[in-house]
Amino acid sequence: MITQVENPILEIHDLTVSYDQNPVLWNVDLSLPGGKLVGILGPNGAGKSTLIKAIMGLIAPTSGYVKVFDKPLNEVRSRISYVPQRESVDWNFPASVLDVVMMGTYGKLGLFRRPGKKEKDIALKSLEQVGMSGFVKRQISELSGGQQQRVFIARALAQEADLYLMDEPFAGVDMSTETAIFQLLQEMTAAGKTVIVVHHDIHSAMNFFDWLIMLNLHLVASGPKELVMNEELLRKTYGGKLNLLTRVTDMIRQKDFNPLKS
Amino acid sequence: MTFDSNAFLIIFTGSLIAISCGFLGVFMMLRKMSMTGDAISHAVLPGIVIGYFVSGSQRSLEVIIGAGLLGILATLMIDWLRKKARVQLDASIGITFTLLFAIGIILINLLAYKVDLDQECVLYGEIAYLPIDSWITKSGLNLGPRITWLAGLNFFFVIGFIYLLFKELVLTSFDENFSSVMGIPSKGVNLALMSIVSYTTVSSFESVGAILVVALLVVPPATAFLWTKSLIPLLKLTAAIGISISVLGYYLAYWIDSSIAGMMVTVAGAFFGISVLIHGKKPAWFRGTSPANQPFGV
Ligand SMILES: Nc1ncnc2c1ncn2[C@@H]1O[C@H](COP(=O)(O)OP(=O)(O)OP(=O)(O)O)[C@@H](O)[C@H]1O
Ligand SMILES: [Mg+2]
Repeated sequence: MITQVENPILEIHDLTVSYDQNPVLWNVDLSLPGGKLVGILGPNGAGKSTLIKAIMGLIAPTSGYVKVFDKPLNEVRSRISYVPQRESVDWNFPASVLDVVMMGTYGKLGLFRRPGKKEKDIALKSLEQVGMSGFVKRQISELSGGQQQRVFIARALAQEADLYLMDEPFAGVDMSTETAIFQLLQEMTAAGKTVIVVHHDIHSAMNFFDWLIMLNLHLVASGPKELVMNEELLRKTYGGKLNLLTRVTDMIRQKDFNPLKS
Repeated sequence: MTFDSNAFLIIFTGSLIAISCGFLGVFMMLRKMSMTGDAISHAVLPGIVIGYFVSGSQRSLEVIIGAGLLGILATLMIDWLRKKARVQLDASIGITFTLLFAIGIILINLLAYKVDLDQECVLYGEIAYLPIDSWITKSGLNLGPRITWLAGLNFFFVIGFIYLLFKELVLTSFDENFSSVMGIPSKGVNLALMSIVSYTTVSSFESVGAILVVALLVVPPATAFLWTKSLIPLLKLTAAIGISISVLGYYLAYWIDSSIAGMMVTVAGAFFGISVLIHGKKPAWFRGTSPANQPFGV
């Protein structure tokens, strides 16, 4: 169940990615429309992070190609923003929260130039958007896990990009913050930006995403949420892990179920 | 006590070297590459020998270029072993520098009849002879001690390098993938850092020797990191430690009549040991920079 679109903002053509000659992603072929909040779902080891890294050019694909804004990656880097998984860096690094968020502005700044007032203002605004204004001067080694994650989201916001790729940005983030940031992402997509989020929580996935990609080494589905959020595709993605699936299908049946409204 | 110009020169030169090494060492430490400095300082030996063979002088530009190239080669080799051959970092470092060092020794022996290279000097160096080794121009003008000039030039390059590439160095040390994604050439920044580390090592050989230069790359930054968790104070403290060990190292060596470079590193080691001991029982007022936690919502 793969919906292709005209004038895609991201086009992945027949992509196969391998680690040490072992392919972990097979023939992924999809295209995404602009201005959507896109979720990537799949079990652990499904290749979600690998897909994001391949889109960002951090892993060279075995075959296939990726085009962003109809151009090769290198020409549009400054329009793409990235939130890596939190464990990918050492949080003992001697930097303050503001220092890290300012890093988001370095791409546009270019070599040798120093960040100034403008960059600082962008960083402060991004911190405010994720509710971290009170922690500007704090060293990153003194943050909680969820706060670190929010710093990473703020850093991505500071990139002021058109396409955002976020690898599990809400891991360890509390419910109310998650909802607030999801609403922020919805505002951004309403303003024409595209946000792709790797996400593990099917509840909030149903509530917030416009478009869903389901992945399990192969591409299972890519399409508007209404079309792909069904029992058969979820079963294909998560492979008959039954109690999870019955719960989810229950949720799908109660059409306007919303865990946050209660 | 009267002003002793020799003492001043030695301490001044020692401080320049210690600060150059310390600043570079901070970034090596943040990249978890401190021991790559060790590898480089040994791996440059074949480059020195070849440079010496080509130019016929131990103090020529060729020697520095040869050493620089070998330093880069060592970095590439370590990187390749680790990423492509999937060897652990420590093993890659061990393989690379012992191999290159061995090649250097073979080259010295092979070229022994032409190369009168003082291995002792490369390995141990001695800053105490600095005042009697002046740089005299062809017209006979005495410009002062050559090693001080070398150290000053090196210091100037290191400071310039860090000043120009500060944000790139910080970003690639913290999050290499993120910098590649933004199009900042993290590999290039890394190689540039390794080249300047190679150059610094070579330029410091004559004064402190290949082994002690490693200590200057590693110990002051590690000591400073025990005291502060932010970058600028970390650099400042590293510089302060560099100056202190030069002063103390000189006078202690003078007092017991021993090697100055050796004493500098011993003092650095003592600083580190004391820091570790004190750090364990640091009073709360010394530690805290952060305000009290406030509850908050979005
Ligand atoms: N550096 C690596 N070298 C070799 N194999 C890897 C590497 N990184 C990931 N893999 C393998 O590739 C597969 C996909 O990994 P990936 O990290 O993309 O999964 P994921 O969907 O992001 O999982 P998670 O939900 O746990 O983050 C896994 O089977 C994993 O074992
Ligand atoms: Mg992952």
